[in-house]
Amino acid sequence: MREALSIWFFAGVLFFIYGVVITAEGIWELSHPLVHPPVLNSLHAPIWWGGLMFVAGLSYTIRFWPRKLR
Amino acid sequence: MHLLPGLMLALFEGPVTKQLAHLNAVDIAVIAIYFGIVLFIGFYLKGSANTSEEFFMAGREMTAWIAGLSFVSANLGSLELMGWAGSAYQYGILATHWYWIGAIPAMLFLGIIMMPFYYISKVNSVPGYLYLRYGNGARALSAVSFAFMTVLMSGINMYSMALVMKVVLGWNLNFSIWVSSITVALYVALGGLRSAIYNEVLQFILIWLGALLVPILGLIEAGGWTKLKAQILTNVGNTQYVHMWSGLGHFSDNPMGVHWSGIVFGLGLVISFGYWTTDFLVVQRVLSAHNLRAARMAPIIGAGFKMAVPFIVILPGLIALSVLPFHLVGESQAVATGQHSYNEVLPLMLVRYCGPGLLGLGVTALIAGFMSGMAGNVSAFSTVWTYDIYGAFLNKKASDRHYVSMGRWCTFVGVLISVGTAYLVQHAASIMDYVQSLFSFFIAPLFGTVILGMLWKRATKAGGFWGLLAGTATAVGLWAWVHNDPSAVRYVALSPDARALALDMYRALWSWLVCVIVTVVVSYMTPARPVAELEGLVYGASPIPQEHDEHWYQKPIVWAGAIAVLFIILNIIFW
Repeated sequence: MREALSIWFFAGVLFFIYGVVITAEGIWELSHPLVHPPVLNSLHAPIWWGGLMFVAGLSYTIRFWPRKLR
Repeated sequence: MHLLPGLMLALFEGPVTKQLAHLNAVDIAVIAIYFGIVLFIGFYLKGSANTSEEFFMAGREMTAWIAGLSFVSANLGSLELMGWAGSAYQYGILATHWYWIGAIPAMLFLGIIMMPFYYISKVNSVPGYLYLRYGNGARALSAVSFAFMTVLMSGINMYSMALVMKVVLGWNLNFSIWVSSITVALYVALGGLRSAIYNEVLQFILIWLGALLVPILGLIEAGGWTKLKAQILTNVGNTQYVHMWSGLGHFSDNPMGVHWSGIVFGLGLVISFGYWTTDFLVVQRVLSAHNLRAARMAPIIGAGFKMAVPFIVILPGLIALSVLPFHLVGESQAVATGQHSYNEVLPLMLVRYCGPGLLGLGVTALIAGFMSGMAGNVSAFSTVWTYDIYGAFLNKKASDRHYVSMGRWCTFVGVLISVGTAYLVQHAASIMDYVQSLFSFFIAPLFGTVILGMLWKRATKAGGFWGLLAGTATAVGLWAWVHNDPSAVRYVALSPDARALALDMYRALWSWLVCVIVTVVVSYMTPARPVAELEGLVYGASPIPQEHDEHWYQKPIVWAGAIAVLFIILNIIFW
């Protein structure tokens, strides 16, 4: 038996997945530039913003992973 | 890459109009993952919503942080996000008043003064408190008006979101309305308030993650706050777009046509306190807290986050004034000329700064905002209907299981009425203005009734009922007067230069005053209730349970004080 899933676990999982998808998209764009890039595209926001979500999501997923009930 | 959205849209009949942005497969995946998670939460929590206490009050097990985030998130609907961003473009930084003076003092007051009475009386709703304090008359008036207005407002929110999605992304109106509303209906009906609260917390964080890039990148593009202000001055030619108080000396000195007295007394003391302390949509979230300390801390935590919301709502509107190469116009002009309207400013800024993936995240944030607002509306509607209308007047002796079942069905009915309202608004846009005015009719007098009930032992049942009725009638009467004779604005809002928003503030102020005066007069004319009957309901007749915090910095009053100081500092900085 494990404890009930915390809301912070759901948040961690969601942001971890988003972090992976958005960072991957940002890295892909380095070798495949967009035809219509957004303003300030040179700052590569998907890489650092996605990376931030990846790290935050991963830490929350691990921190709030449902533990076994004794 | 573009096949998936095409297939999805094809499910819904109707032409796709010209659009501002295209979502690619990554964006669609981001949105689909979000829908998957919210539905999963609903199914996962289904087993935790078997009794009425679990379904309607989330078992009263929420921590201060969860209740506090949910408290703010339920208010952060699509009108709140996109409408106020549009107002910031239209009126400048003055729109921030609705987030600061129009929210923070009231939220702190709720946490410090009012929450103990709501919490120790163990009521399930605000009409439930009115029943204990004033009897069935005030409860019925408040419950029926709240239930009716809540689902109508939910429909208006729905239509507003669908309209923006249509203009910006080319999404069919039917697609936006039905997919989002069915999802909300499912997760609220399955998991009750707990599911709504869990999703609201998730949605609140998501709104921040999706929308925060716009002000960050916008400030970088504008060259910082000082250059942004200079650019706005150049583009607009009015310094009052970046000052919150200095132009409020006269109605004609600022773009909003308001006066400081209306902002302070009408918005800050009446509308704001009315909404944040008596609107069950938000109060329900705090009532779900697991103890009194959590219930008092929740609005205080919420106030801290509410104070930060202008960064993702108001600032994008101001940045748009500086960097957009074209002008936005009012809704009716936009429809007539094909230009973009004020309400589209937030999606427009998302499209400006966000490429694939991030754009999907930003659109998900907008959808999340809509869904959190709608879930708040329908969960509050189902609670008030079940406890304060159905259970109080139509079927008093049903089993707990029956009431839970009624709550689940009511969620679907609430969503269906909201959808109906959305379609009604689509064919008669003026209904939107009427319903928004109607909503304001009830809020201000209700605050007068509740606050007198909590702080004044002498208030009687008859006083409460007639005060509420007279206050509401005053609001309706003043609205009808100005509607039929626009020159009456000089009497209602004290100046012929006052505009619509100023008028709302003064109408609320007068209706609240009438409610208070009538309640006091009628109370003195009728016999007082014995003090013993008021225990747990009124200040001075109720022992407030003592909280034992280990450290001084854990006390709610300390946190409230810190938020209040920050609130004052921010107002001085942006004076």
